[in-house]
Amino acid sequence: MGLSEGVAWPWPIAVYLFLAGISGGSLVVALAIRFFKGQTETTPLYKAASLISFVTIALGMLCLVLDLTNPLFFWRILVFYNFTSVMSVGVIALCVYIPLTAVLCLYAFEDEIKSIPALSFLLPIINMLKPVRKPCEVTALILAASVCAYTGFLISALIRFPLINTAVLPALFIASGVSAGAAASKMLSVFLFKEDMHSSELKILHGAEWPIMIAEILFICMIAMSLATGNAGAQSAFEAFTAGVWANLFWIGVVGVGFLGPILLNFATGKTFSHSAKAFYLSGFCAISGMMCLRLFILYAGQTYAI
Amino acid sequence: MSENIERRRFLKGIGAASLILGPMGCTSVKDDNEDANKPHYVMVFDQNKCVGCGECKEACNVANNLPDGKSRMLMEHQSGGVEGQACPHCGKEECNCERKFVRVSCQQCKNAPCVSVCPTGAAHKDPKTGIVTMDASKCAGCKYCIGACPYNARFINEETDVADNCDFCLNSKLSKGELPACVQQCKYDALIFGDANDPTSYVNKLLAVKDSVRMKPQFGTEPSLRYIPVVKLGV
Repeated sequence: MGLSEGVAWPWPIAVYLFLAGISGGSLVVALAIRFFKGQTETTPLYKAASLISFVTIALGMLCLVLDLTNPLFFWRILVFYNFTSVMSVGVIALCVYIPLTAVLCLYAFEDEIKSIPALSFLLPIINMLKPVRKPCEVTALILAASVCAYTGFLISALIRFPLINTAVLPALFIASGVSAGAAASKMLSVFLFKEDMHSSELKILHGAEWPIMIAEILFICMIAMSLATGNAGAQSAFEAFTAGVWANLFWIGVVGVGFLGPILLNFATGKTFSHSAKAFYLSGFCAISGMMCLRLFILYAGQTYAI
Repeated sequence: MSENIERRRFLKGIGAASLILGPMGCTSVKDDNEDANKPHYVMVFDQNKCVGCGECKEACNVANNLPDGKSRMLMEHQSGGVEGQACPHCGKEECNCERKFVRVSCQQCKNAPCVSVCPTGAAHKDPKTGIVTMDASKCAGCKYCIGACPYNARFINEETDVADNCDFCLNSKLSKGELPACVQQCKYDALIFGDANDPTSYVNKLLAVKDSVRMKPQFGTEPSLRYIPVVKLGV
């Protein structure tokens, strides 16, 4: 029995966790490949990732603000700070990260901006920012990973909920953010920026997909095992995996769609199908929907089983 | 000669180091230690005396100008019976005959999770009294404190759109030198309030002789609300 009714953080927060994860994940992937391969040109993957990271984090902020009891109070979070609060530290990171994603978009779309006369006012800004491109990208890479992790730290501070209050959550959110971010940016790079589906960059992504997925599965198993073998509170929270609507969401959404979907599409079908555009998009959507289900599951099942 | 310079330098170094480290050492001490000169307000809920009349809730509503029907506390009705078995008092399967209640309200933790997670410092400890209270003008309504509270004792005030908690009527009563509204209202002496750091206070003497418990001590929050539980059914 308590004074608040329902869950403190409803679905818009799950959507925010999802969007922030995709935003950070796609930038991590694109920038890591850029540094790893020593690229200096703007690749389709870079374009797709910078666009996704900016749009999704902007939408995520919208979710966050609309979930406040009074959205007009959002300025208070920007004015007052408390450094023992994960949220406050995250706000500082986001205040740097969001403008940086916009700057990366400017770098990525320089040619497109040049061709649109209405946007020519941006050109002097782009020229001004060009000398600091490398430091901007390095900072963006660090902050992108931090934003992914931050969404995990943010909710793992809720000590009342054993499923949420685990040390592994930030790692799980980084892994699932990177896998969904990679899926989103590779689909957009092929769909919008005419990247070849079998280019060397996308090959790297394909190869990285499976180790990341294994890491995700491992992290989820770690959470489940720590609950199953934990104290009474943890054991009652383990029910989240075995009974009720959230268990269905977990087994169908996270495991079925998110993990088995891409595995079956890639390994259980013939070579012609698994290399086709259909399989490419389908498995991408599976990865992204699986991640959304994971965020929903963690947030709702987590808040359902309180100590 | 060179030995002398070495010694001089050594003495200078000692002097400089002590100048720097001395004040640092002095300032960092006693930061977290409990200061006995400061009050530590505690409330004791005596389950043996509470009859569940609910007048404390009404008094809370009036004293703190809360929306209709809302108060900063709840009374949880506990039935001692085992589900599916007949009540030991009246013999019925389902009854409300046992008057056993628990006060649900802010536990006024010494180590308050709501204060540490609040991104704006709206949920804070009043510096003078150490009471966990709200600065409504800073609260952004993010509900982080509500999720972080291990006791589910915080809520959104629908009128002000900001988070709210029981702060022992800090601004409505304590500041005027009165007792919290619920304590004043209770006819059965089920609520006792006072300063535990004051050796002469009634609450201090009571806690010295009575066994009391704190809710969910495993969280390490060190609540200031104490409960004197009913330990056994009648003879």
